[in-house]
Amino acid sequence: MSRAIAMTDSPPAAPPAPARRRSPLAAILRHPGAVLGLVILAGAIGAALLAPVLYPASPWRMVQRPFIPPFTLDRVPLGTDALGRDIAAGLMHGAGVSLLVGLVSTLAALLIGVPLGALAGYLGGRVDDALMRFTELFQTVPSFALAIVLVAILQPSLGSMILAIALVSWPPVTRLVRGEVLSLRSREYVQAAVVTGQTTFTILRREVLPNTLSPIVVLASLMVATAILLESSLSFLGLGDPNRMSWGFMVGAGRTVIRQAWWITAFPGLAILLTVLALNLIGEGLNDALNPRLSRER
Amino acid sequence: MAGFIAQRLAKGVLVLAAIVVLNFFLIRLAPGDPAVVMAGEAGATDEIFVAQLRTKFALDQSLPGQLAAYLGSIATLDLGYSVRQQMPVATLIGERLPATLLLTGCAFLISIALGVLLGALAARRAGSLADTAITGLALLFYATPLFWVSLMAIILFSVRLEWLPSFGFETVGAGYTGLARAADIAQHLVLPALTLGLFFMAVYVRMTRASMLEVSRLDFVKTARAKGLTEGVIQRRHILRNALLPVVTLAGLQAGTLVGGAVLTETVFAWPGIGRLMYDALLQRDYNLLLGVFVVSSAMVLIFNLVTDVVYRAVDPRIEVAR
Amino acid sequence: MFKTILTGVALTLAFAGTAPAQTPGGVANVVIQPEPPGLMLGLVQNAPAQTVAGNIYEGLLRYDFALKPLPGLAERWSVSEDGRTYTFNLAANATWHDGKPFTAEDVIFSVEFLRQTHPRARGNLAKVTGVTAPDAHTVVFTLSEPFGPFLGIFEVGSLPMVPKHIYAGTDYKTNPANNTPIGTGPYMFKEWKKGSYIRLVKNPNYHVAGKPYLDEVYWHVIPDAAARAVAFETGKVDILPGGSVENFDIPRLSQAKGVCSTKKGWEYFAPISWLWLNNRKGPTANKAFRQAVSYALDRDFAKDVIWNGLGKPAIGPIASSTRFFNPKLAKYSYDPAKAKALLKESGYKGETVRLLPMPYGETWQRWAEAVKQNLEDVGIKTELVSTDVAGWNQKTSDWDYDLAFTYVFQYGDPALGVARNYVSSQIVKGSPFNNVEGYANPAVDAGFAEGAATVDVAKRQAAYDAVQTTLIEDAPLAWLLELEFPTLTRCKVHDLITTSIGVNDGFRDAWIER
Repeated sequence: MSRAIAMTDSPPAAPPAPARRRSPLAAILRHPGAVLGLVILAGAIGAALLAPVLYPASPWRMVQRPFIPPFTLDRVPLGTDALGRDIAAGLMHGAGVSLLVGLVSTLAALLIGVPLGALAGYLGGRVDDALMRFTELFQTVPSFALAIVLVAILQPSLGSMILAIALVSWPPVTRLVRGEVLSLRSREYVQAAVVTGQTTFTILRREVLPNTLSPIVVLASLMVATAILLESSLSFLGLGDPNRMSWGFMVGAGRTVIRQAWWITAFPGLAILLTVLALNLIGEGLNDALNPRLSRER
Repeated sequence: MAGFIAQRLAKGVLVLAAIVVLNFFLIRLAPGDPAVVMAGEAGATDEIFVAQLRTKFALDQSLPGQLAAYLGSIATLDLGYSVRQQMPVATLIGERLPATLLLTGCAFLISIALGVLLGALAARRAGSLADTAITGLALLFYATPLFWVSLMAIILFSVRLEWLPSFGFETVGAGYTGLARAADIAQHLVLPALTLGLFFMAVYVRMTRASMLEVSRLDFVKTARAKGLTEGVIQRRHILRNALLPVVTLAGLQAGTLVGGAVLTETVFAWPGIGRLMYDALLQRDYNLLLGVFVVSSAMVLIFNLVTDVVYRAVDPRIEVAR
Repeated sequence: MFKTILTGVALTLAFAGTAPAQTPGGVANVVIQPEPPGLMLGLVQNAPAQTVAGNIYEGLLRYDFALKPLPGLAERWSVSEDGRTYTFNLAANATWHDGKPFTAEDVIFSVEFLRQTHPRARGNLAKVTGVTAPDAHTVVFTLSEPFGPFLGIFEVGSLPMVPKHIYAGTDYKTNPANNTPIGTGPYMFKEWKKGSYIRLVKNPNYHVAGKPYLDEVYWHVIPDAAARAVAFETGKVDILPGGSVENFDIPRLSQAKGVCSTKKGWEYFAPISWLWLNNRKGPTANKAFRQAVSYALDRDFAKDVIWNGLGKPAIGPIASSTRFFNPKLAKYSYDPAKAKALLKESGYKGETVRLLPMPYGETWQRWAEAVKQNLEDVGIKTELVSTDVAGWNQKTSDWDYDLAFTYVFQYGDPALGVARNYVSSQIVKGSPFNNVEGYANPAVDAGFAEGAATVDVAKRQAAYDAVQTTLIEDAPLAWLLELEFPTLTRCKVHDLITTSIGVNDGFRDAWIER
């Protein structure tokens, strides 16, 4: 499953246009989809923040009879699962875990992908060749299969899941950054920095990387979405962290009773759907805002 | 061109060798080994039994020795032997590969055909309600967990409506041959191929749409418009044809990963493909088989990428053969 | 309860009242989960292999629901006065699937074969000093000393007869015949499409006249539990052997029209689930802590909610369907207050203990979550350690755990399936089925030895009563439930479950009403 690659290998034609940049925020706010996305995402973040306040008890606590349908008991508005745990509490607490998995694994992927891509693009030659071979290695192995193997090896936990997702999703970042750096390298201000004798590291950090930021931000927003989906897929296969209530875990755990109790999988499934949707809409909005050439069409 | 292909093949072999070595060690880092699994399944074990199993799985040999032996057999295109299944790895994969290729191939075609079609429609009416509806729908299929859609499809089409079978590759024991068998397999294929295809469709919709918008601003399109060609002709002949180039690239990448990656779909629909084979091999710590699946699916990715590049070059002469 | 009685009545009526004639012919479609690694029963002993291959191979004896021996390949048997000589008279007309006759030589060879490849048979045969064949259809086993459960070791999974003419003088493990198993059983191996199905066909020369009835048996491999339930619902398969669907699906499936279910056919195995408690180190090394765990567990909740009312609380080391079980010894009930008091007494300081769930599907996962809750309710800090089958086996057989779920078969007699989990000679790394908890008590060792070394039932009962009392007090582990795995069939399938190993040798007698 090339989830990691699927959406994140976004259009190769997305060069930054720093010259004509408007205020990105204003541009995003003109994009109705992105506004919707932001609202949904804010809701998810709000749920995560409010969870400890609204549901101070552990979401694992069995509070009622099992299999109570939604909207029948005020105390458990979204019903209970196979053990009598409150679905609403699970959703709220799960928001934090799912967003955390998405965010941290994306950050980790960026941490691997950006430096490698920058070095490959800036130094070129042998270094570039070697780094690209290395990247190819990870792109050639089926990514979902690799993620499964990694989680199985490290044993299922939040940490191993984040690591596995990060390890299969960095190659597109490297390719993107490399391409950007390649085109920036010959710019005058970069050359000027070279002449003044700044170190490679300083040049990359000060002059080159800041200008690759916008496509990376767009890519990252999509990667967070993909990571959340990946987490749910891994959980479906029973590779989730049994100590953390995440949306993926809830869907995975509810799937065996999907015939008797649709709500156990439907609500967390819906939460995943909405969040992934929101992140994609935001990504699109960001892309249009940061890359105004295309947004004219709207 | 021949030189280019030879060069790419040589690089591919290197990448493949690296994958073998890396995964060889990676897999062995997992807790437990095939002997432990077999012993655990037996319901009772003792020291003699475990020792026998370790000998049987060659676990009593040194790790470098095992690696050397494996690389040696790979070099002669022999994927080794699955001690657990008592069969050569190549046979096991060979039995399963056609099912996966059929499933992912169909899903792939569905996703490209629908994706390009819908993407083109959306681009043509960019900003309209239709555009929003199409991109929204595609996104919806992408954002819904695949296994959830699959389970729902089974409940609707197999259990409630009884239109389509819910599992398997064909009706076992029906003894169909020829066309009847093909029709039977096709029936079993509909649900898994469609759910998988719709998931991948989103990428192509987005890509085609973006690419078409990009191309439609290029000079030759303006020229065509100036010449007074009808919009339909411009869309089909000039824009779509050129806009498809990045789609081909992505398709190359995707086609490869589809081979190794239908684990979820194969699980839900009991489709006897190599994705499931891989997962079972992982759980059983069947090292040779797991490595074999990795080698085969990686090789497929490399081959698909090469083919796409060749196609790309054939389609677009602007690209220099030299890198 | 009421429902159970009704079902019982209905079943009795179905069997006694109508009793339609056995119609030969037909095809059975059965689920097999997971796909077995092989079908050569002498080499592969995992549960699905036994289920399929138990219909290809045969043992000398079969066992009824009360574990009394029934004829198998042996038609008659006798025991000498001193309990050291057992004589079996074999079916004279039994043949292997390739047409060669089955003789006493095959029995002698099988004993030799299994002593090399089958760990459980090796243990069961430990006291056998000689196997001889006075004639082609008589076998005599001589024992070094009396062994109470000896007549209970001849079940097909425990001592399957393997063909001498195929394996003698070969390397058993690499013999190409392993892929095309040859037995004496009612069905012959025909075809195996890996990942899809296994096909068995009727053995026309079966040694029991008129049997078997079915023409073919297809075993379908369906990896996802929900998909297996759907396959049964939609009529693609007619038989779900015990344990092949998640418990949550069982009430719905068994209430469907034309579906019959039975809990019988597991008496020989009598699986008991428990928590291994590591007696070597950590809080679980303390007896009061272990007792606290036992009091903290809400077994009725587990039974009612997680197992959907199936099974019954296990009160001690011996299952209620196994010989020498004593119901009067029960001690642990759900008592969180007592658990807390014992916890205090044990000096537990709030260390986090690791709990290893069983990697066998969602039911076990949910159970682990519930037990974690039980333990935390009395103040035991618990962390679930998630792992797969290989990891679970590795961790338990390496003693790398604090608490771990498991379930273990009893094989009908304390000497066969119970002693191994408590006697100190079984504290050996590398097996998840022996004395994994590391409990050592000379009195218990002696009690088990005494119970095994006699055929006198009263003496055996006395020995095992003493053992049970000590074990329950010492709580080397925390017994959970005696598990039940109902077999679901379409009601048109008759006589599938006729012995204490159920489906494993069930197709000998099964027939489908048409």
